[in-house]
Amino acid sequence: MLRVVRARLGSAGLSLLILTLLAFVMSHLTPGGPAYSILGPAARPDTVAAINHEFGLDLPIWRQYLRWLWQLAHGRLGSSYLSNQPVGAMLLSYEANTILLQLVALTASLAIAFGLGLLHGVFHARRLGRLIGTVELGLFALPSFFVGTLLILWVSMGLGWLPAGGLEDLRLQHQTPGSILSHLALPAATITLFTVPALSRYLAQSVHEELGRDYVRSAAARGASPGRILFRHVLRNALRPVVTLLGLSLPTIFAGGIVTETVFSYPGLGWLLWQSAIGQDYPVLIGIVLVIGVLTVLGNLLADLVNGLLDPRTSYA
Amino acid sequence: MTDTVLQLQALSVSLPAHGGGRLVPVLDALDLQVRAGGMTALVGESGSGKTVAALAAMRLLPRGARTSGQVRFDGLDLLAQDERRMRRLRGRIGMVFQNPLSALNPSATVGAQVAEGYRLHENGSRAQARRRAVELLGEVGIPDPARRLDDYPHQFSGGQRQRVMIAAALACDPRVLIADEPTTGLDPLVARQILALLRRLQQSHRLGVLFITHDLSIVEAHADRLTVLYAGRAVEWGGAGRFFAAPRHPYSQALLAAVPRLGQAALQGIPGRLPDPLLLPPGCRFAPRCPHHRPPCDDGYPPALGDAVEAACCLFPLAPPVPARNMNVVHAPPAGAAARQDDAALLALERVTVRHPVIGARRRTAPALQEVSLTLHRGECLGIVGESGSGKSTLGRAILHMLRHDGRILLDGQPVADLPGPERRRARRRIQPVFQDPRESLNPRLRIGDALAEPLRLGGLFDRARLDREVAALLAKVGLDPSLAGRWPGQVSGGQAQRVAVARALAARPEIVVLDEPTSALDVSTQAMLLTLLRDLARSEHVAYVMISHDLAAVSWLADRIAVLKDGRVVEAADTATLLAHPRHAYSAALVATAPRVQDGAGQVAAGPVRLPSPPA
Repeated sequence: MLRVVRARLGSAGLSLLILTLLAFVMSHLTPGGPAYSILGPAARPDTVAAINHEFGLDLPIWRQYLRWLWQLAHGRLGSSYLSNQPVGAMLLSYEANTILLQLVALTASLAIAFGLGLLHGVFHARRLGRLIGTVELGLFALPSFFVGTLLILWVSMGLGWLPAGGLEDLRLQHQTPGSILSHLALPAATITLFTVPALSRYLAQSVHEELGRDYVRSAAARGASPGRILFRHVLRNALRPVVTLLGLSLPTIFAGGIVTETVFSYPGLGWLLWQSAIGQDYPVLIGIVLVIGVLTVLGNLLADLVNGLLDPRTSYA
Repeated sequence: MTDTVLQLQALSVSLPAHGGGRLVPVLDALDLQVRAGGMTALVGESGSGKTVAALAAMRLLPRGARTSGQVRFDGLDLLAQDERRMRRLRGRIGMVFQNPLSALNPSATVGAQVAEGYRLHENGSRAQARRRAVELLGEVGIPDPARRLDDYPHQFSGGQRQRVMIAAALACDPRVLIADEPTTGLDPLVARQILALLRRLQQSHRLGVLFITHDLSIVEAHADRLTVLYAGRAVEWGGAGRFFAAPRHPYSQALLAAVPRLGQAALQGIPGRLPDPLLLPPGCRFAPRCPHHRPPCDDGYPPALGDAVEAACCLFPLAPPVPARNMNVVHAPPAGAAARQDDAALLALERVTVRHPVIGARRRTAPALQEVSLTLHRGECLGIVGESGSGKSTLGRAILHMLRHDGRILLDGQPVADLPGPERRRARRRIQPVFQDPRESLNPRLRIGDALAEPLRLGGLFDRARLDREVAALLAKVGLDPSLAGRWPGQVSGGQAQRVAVARALAARPEIVVLDEPTSALDVSTQAMLLTLLRDLARSEHVAYVMISHDLAAVSWLADRIAVLKDGRVVEAADTATLLAHPRHAYSAALVATAPRVQDGAGQVAAGPVRLPSPPA
């Protein structure tokens, strides 16, 4: 198993290098520049040149990239052009907010998707299954900026039950748990409504397929009850594709829903990504891209390892 | 009979049609009984309703199926039980399915699956269940059962998996075992071992076995009663000894004549196909295909001539046929006998070795083929037999130049691998393949005519009218109607699809055709017709065959010479007649001994209980 992990991480290093290079070149090619974000559109050319010189933006791009790599090799990600804070510390604090939000959303999604997916899979071609399928498709078709806006309109502005955003600082010593939860509720609900249909449809399809397999008939012929067949025989086999899907969505989970966090102005990594892209804050932007890349690699690896545990046929000996 | 343990009475089943709400009758008034310690065989081709009968008895039919009649077990009618009671009863009737790999849960240990029935019905503790599983695995002949308990199905060989399935079915000491094609897909030697195991269990447990199969030859030596199904209806039933000596229904006779056996001169298939269950003929369902068909046959379903114990449903039951005893003829002159005089080999394999690369493996694995040397002459048929995993298909692929190999493969004395690109491609056209499953080897999105035109186009023929003519000629050559050119592969029967595959191979005008298990995906009746076609084509088209199969009888019917492959090596290669009469290697001898052979005149089964090599440890 260790050998597999090592081999996978080795090849991942190259992918990450290419990823950051692409992100670096593409962000630098966009017109404008951080100097204009700082000084505004009416900035004088000599001030712009001074700022560009200070950030090293007047160097050829390959030298800038090498400088960034050199920093990275020493464990530094640079500082934000806009706030002057070190990028590493910024990523950590925003990431903590995102993880809190996504954990709440993920727990809710898994619980709902699990029940819905099992029901949908078992009653696949029957009335209940078709009904669940229709609901799932409907939810799937709603983009999260739409759902988020609707929730703000109805729940916070209409009913006035929950705040629509404005959470500046989520550090626990500054907030009561009740306030944290009330701020998390709407964005978490938006993300949940977005993830549930995909997960549940995936699980349903997988359960339905497994229920048609010969070993299910064998278990029934031994006198196993439908419940036993579902939970003891089918589930473990049916979970494999779902685990793969979860592993693939790990980066979304940690990078945060960009749209959701922006709609609710929730100070997470997704919101930060959007802010730094608008402000052409290159060090922050590239830092986030790097984090997402690393998480993608780790997510895939984790999913494969869990699947290895679920499926005795794959052995990492 | 007092010792009847399972009895089907007028069992009828209708299944919902695909997509529509209509019910399709698939089984019609089946009567059948299984006695304690006995084996009843239920024989029929695919679509005959034999599996449906077994599933109906166990109440495992898909939702929406309608059943009538009775299934008597232990004084109860199983069709009248509620689902909860039925679940309890299921452990007391064991069931074994075809393809043990998919019938076992891949992610549960063998021990858990074997003990499941015991845990469900006997309420034993975990430790007791483990002990029971060890006991059961030992009983069915799994070596070192205590150690294998926590292994998973993929760690067992095909034959062992079927033993595991049988062990699981025996968990609650059932009085009846329903075995649905338990030996299909297994090598002949392994299949015989499974049958021997069943026979042992019949005796030691007074177990009644209902054996469902399409292959008459496999039950010949073991069944004591037999029912033949055709299109959902029993056409003949009775004692097995009487049946094999004198089958009376034309379908039974045709089925027996269609199974290739050692020493058989003529094979006879059954032309035509099963009637559509929604458009059944008014009279005898076999009438449209029956060679002895007379007008009264169409008036109504023929009554059973006989009683519940012995009968044939035919107005004109046949006298027993003159047994086709051809031991002295043995072989019709082999197709390539004359050609073999010219010495230069068309194809020569010199010490061909193939290793399958294994990703991540540090040590090199045992080669799939080891230093195989063989020759093939013009117009000759070389048979390759061996068990699965022996390297048969690898050898076929090597000949087709689809694999990297060491050693040399010479075509007309020239090593094909050394030729420059264009010439190598031309040389490859001279060797064409036909694979096992025609449904997979034909592109489902290509009309049959286009599939046949492709090799012609590659050969440089582009004129539309000439292409159409050539395609029609190819179809006629393999005995198909030229109108089939406009159909999709999914719209024709398995036998027809395999003929198309043969026609496609011939389209490139090859000198060699590699037939990789060409008949094993086909029903018995179509199998015989394809083999006859192949033999005729060998003569008319002057092609040489390499025929790969695990069915020695089918190979020996076609081949001039046979090479026996075991563990990647040729252990024996000889003329067909010589190999069958005097096999030199112990493995060849075992293959010859277990292959079905022509019965002698008295109807005695020639292949009685066969001594088998002990199961591999």
